Amino acid sequence: MTATARAFYGDFVRTFGNVLFAVSLFVVWGLLTLVGVVVDQGQDPSSYFQSYAAPIARAILRLNFDNIYHSPWYVGIIGLILLSLAVCTFKRVIPARLPPLHPVSVEKIPLHATFDVDGEVGDVRRRVAEFFAARGWQMRERCFGGIEWSFADKHNWARRGVLIAHTGFVIVAAGTTLYWARGFSGDMAVLRGATAQVAQTHALIRLDDFAYKIAPIMTKSGMVYQPIDYVSHVIVTGKDGTPKAMTVRVNHPIDVDDTLYYQASYGFGMRFAVSRFGRPDRALSSRTFLEGDSFDLPGTSRTVIYERFAPTVDKQSGMPTADPRVNNPAVVLDVAQGGSPLGAALVPLASSIDFGDGWRLVPQQYVIYSGFQYRHDPGVPLVGIGAFVLLAGLIVSFYFLPARLYLRVDPLTAGRVRIGAAATTVKGYDVFESEFERLMVTLRGEMQHAVG
Amino acid sequence: MPLDEALIATALGAYTLGALALLLYFFSRTSWLRDVGIPLAIIGCVAQFVQLIVRYETTHVWPLLNLYGSLSLFAAMSVAIYIGFAFRYRLWFAGGFVLALAAIFLAYGVTWYEGTMPPVPSLQSYWAKIHVPIVVSSYAAFLVAFVFSCIYLLKFYAQRGVTQTGDSSGPVARWLAALPSLPQLDVIVYRAVAIGLPLISIGIITGAMWAKEAWGAYWQWDPKETAALFSWIIYLAYMHLHTRHAWRGLRTSWVSVIGFVSIIFCYLGVNIWISGLHSYKV
Repeated sequence: MTATARAFYGDFVRTFGNVLFAVSLFVVWGLLTLVGVVVDQGQDPSSYFQSYAAPIARAILRLNFDNIYHSPWYVGIIGLILLSLAVCTFKRVIPARLPPLHPVSVEKIPLHATFDVDGEVGDVRRRVAEFFAARGWQMRERCFGGIEWSFADKHNWARRGVLIAHTGFVIVAAGTTLYWARGFSGDMAVLRGATAQVAQTHALIRLDDFAYKIAPIMTKSGMVYQPIDYVSHVIVTGKDGTPKAMTVRVNHPIDVDDTLYYQASYGFGMRFAVSRFGRPDRALSSRTFLEGDSFDLPGTSRTVIYERFAPTVDKQSGMPTADPRVNNPAVVLDVAQGGSPLGAALVPLASSIDFGDGWRLVPQQYVIYSGFQYRHDPGVPLVGIGAFVLLAGLIVSFYFLPARLYLRVDPLTAGRVRIGAAATTVKGYDVFESEFERLMVTLRGEMQHAVG
Repeated sequence: MPLDEALIATALGAYTLGALALLLYFFSRTSWLRDVGIPLAIIGCVAQFVQLIVRYETTHVWPLLNLYGSLSLFAAMSVAIYIGFAFRYRLWFAGGFVLALAAIFLAYGVTWYEGTMPPVPSLQSYWAKIHVPIVVSSYAAFLVAFVFSCIYLLKFYAQRGVTQTGDSSGPVARWLAALPSLPQLDVIVYRAVAIGLPLISIGIITGAMWAKEAWGAYWQWDPKETAALFSWIIYLAYMHLHTRHAWRGLRTSWVSVIGFVSIIFCYLGVNIWISGLHSYKV
C-alpha cells in the first residue's frame, strides 16, 4: 500500500469510525425522512406547483423530494450509515467493548477506592475473589510485571449488545435489498363477475362477489358512516391450475404461490349509454369504466372523465351526501376540452347529459369492483430475523451494564495489606457510582469482619 | 354520569390537584405537599387504568383505537412510568411536571371523545392489542425523559447564572443544591430513554408486521411510519451521543427535548394535520 493510499485509508477509518460522523449521518437521514413526511410523495408535478411557490416546487422536483425515499440521497445516506456502522463496529466498538485484561492506575480512574485491612496477601486476595464470585462476578487473575491483578467482570457477555444491534441493522438492510432485487408488488381492480390475471405470476383471480358493511352511528358531532367490513369472495387459480374459492378481508390476506393478496379498496365501475344524434356508440357503450377512467368523444377534442361514484344523492338538495351506501346514486363527470378542464357535472343514474355536437351520455348501470394489492417479498424472513436481532441487541445494550473491576492486594506491613479497586463500565462512571460505593462499603465490612 | 366518565373525571381531578401539590413541592420542598401529591398521582393513574378496563368491558371495543383512548393510555402510562422511577430513584420532586402534562394530554383527549364506535376494518386485528399499547408506552417513557431533560437544562442554566452572579449561598443556589446533581439527572434521562427506545423499536416492528397483514407491505412510507422513524433516529442519535463523554449531559438533554417534540409531532401532528393511513381521530 502506498503512502497516499495509507493516508487515505487512515482518513477514511477516522472519519467513518467517528461516532459524531455517524450521528451527523443520522441527522441527515432524519431530515430527509422528515421532508418525506411534510412533502406529499409521488404526486403529479403540477400538484407541487399548486401547493408551493414555483421556486420551492422546482426545488422539490429537481432534488427528488417528491419521491425522496427512493432518491439517490436517501439510498446514499443509508449506504453511508451502513458503511459507518461497519467501520465503527470493527474499529471502535469491538476494541472499546471487548478490552483485553490489562493493569491500570487505580487512582486515575474516577471510580476507585483504597483501604487497608489486616491479613496475609494471599488470604485476602482469595477472600476478595470469593466476595465478588459470590455476587455473580466472573473472576480472573493475571500477573503483570510481577504484580498480581484480579479482574472482576459482570455481564461481560452483554458487551456484545451493540455488536448484535449493528448486525440486526445489517440483516434488515439485506432483507430490504432482497425485496428490491427479487420481489414485486402491484395492485388491480376486479369487477364483480370478472377475472384478472397477475402479470408476474399468471395467477387468475375471479371476483365472485364483494360486500361491504357500513354502520351509521350518531356521534356528538353528527352522523358518521363507519365502515365495518370489506370482503371479497374470489376464485383463484394458481400454478397448479386448480381453481380454489377463497375469501379476502382486510387484515386477512390470502397466499397464492408465495404471493400475498390483500383487500385494499373498492369502488364502482360504470357503464354508460353513449350516443350521437340518437345513434348508440357501441364501442363506448360496451365498456365498463372505473373511477378515474376517461374517454374521448370521437370527432371532438372533448374528454369525459368518470371522476367518482356518488352512492347517495340527497333528493331535496340534489347534492351527494356522506352516506357511502348505495341509495339514489349518481356519477361525477369532469369534462375537458383539448386538455383544459371545462367543468364537472353530477349526473343521476338513468339521467342524460348533453356534451354538444349531438353527443349524449346516460349513466346506465354500476358494477362494484374490489381493489387488491399483491406482493411477493422474499426478504420478509430476513427482515423479521434482523428486526429480532436488532431488538435483542438494543435490549442487551440498554438493560445490562457490563462493568469491570480492577483489583489488587498489596502488602503494607506484616499482617496488613492494602486493597485497591477501580471500576469501569461501557456507559461511563455516573451510572455505576452508587453500586460501586455499596460494593466497596460491603467489601470493607466483610474483610474487617472476617479478621475480627 | 357513567362509570367510565366518572373515572376519567376522577383521574383528571387527581392529576390537576397532584400537579399543583407536587409543583409547589418542587419549589418549596415542603414535605407534606409531596405526601399529598403522591397519593393523588397513584389515584389518578389507577382510575385511568380502571376506566380503560371498564370501557372495554362495557363496549367490547378495544379502547385505544382513537385519540381519546390512546391519549388516555398515554397519560396513564406517563404517570405509571414516572411513579416507577420516583419510587426506585426518589424522584418525587419532578412529579408536578409529569402530572401537569398528563392532565393536559388527558383533557385534550377528552375533547376528541365522540362516543363508542366500532373499529374500521384495518383496525380489526389482534395487532391493535399489541402495537398500540407498546407505541403509546414508548411515548410515555419519552415524556418522562423530556421532563427530566428540562429539569437538567433548568438546573444547568440556573446554576450557570448563580455562578456568574457569585451568589452561591442565596436561596436559588440552595434550592438548586436540593435537586439531584447534573450527572444524576443525566442518568435518569438515559434510563427513561432506555425504556422508550426499545419500546418504540418494538412498536415500529409490530406496526410493520400489522401493516404487512393489513395493507400488503410492512413499510409504505406513510407519514406516521416515517415520523416514527424520524423520532427513532433522534433517540438513536441520543444513544450514540451518550457514549461520548463530551456530549453527555447538556447536549444529550437538548436532543431528548427535540426527540420529544418529534414524538408529539408523530403522535398528534400526523394524526390530526396530515392525512394518511394512520388518520384515526375519533
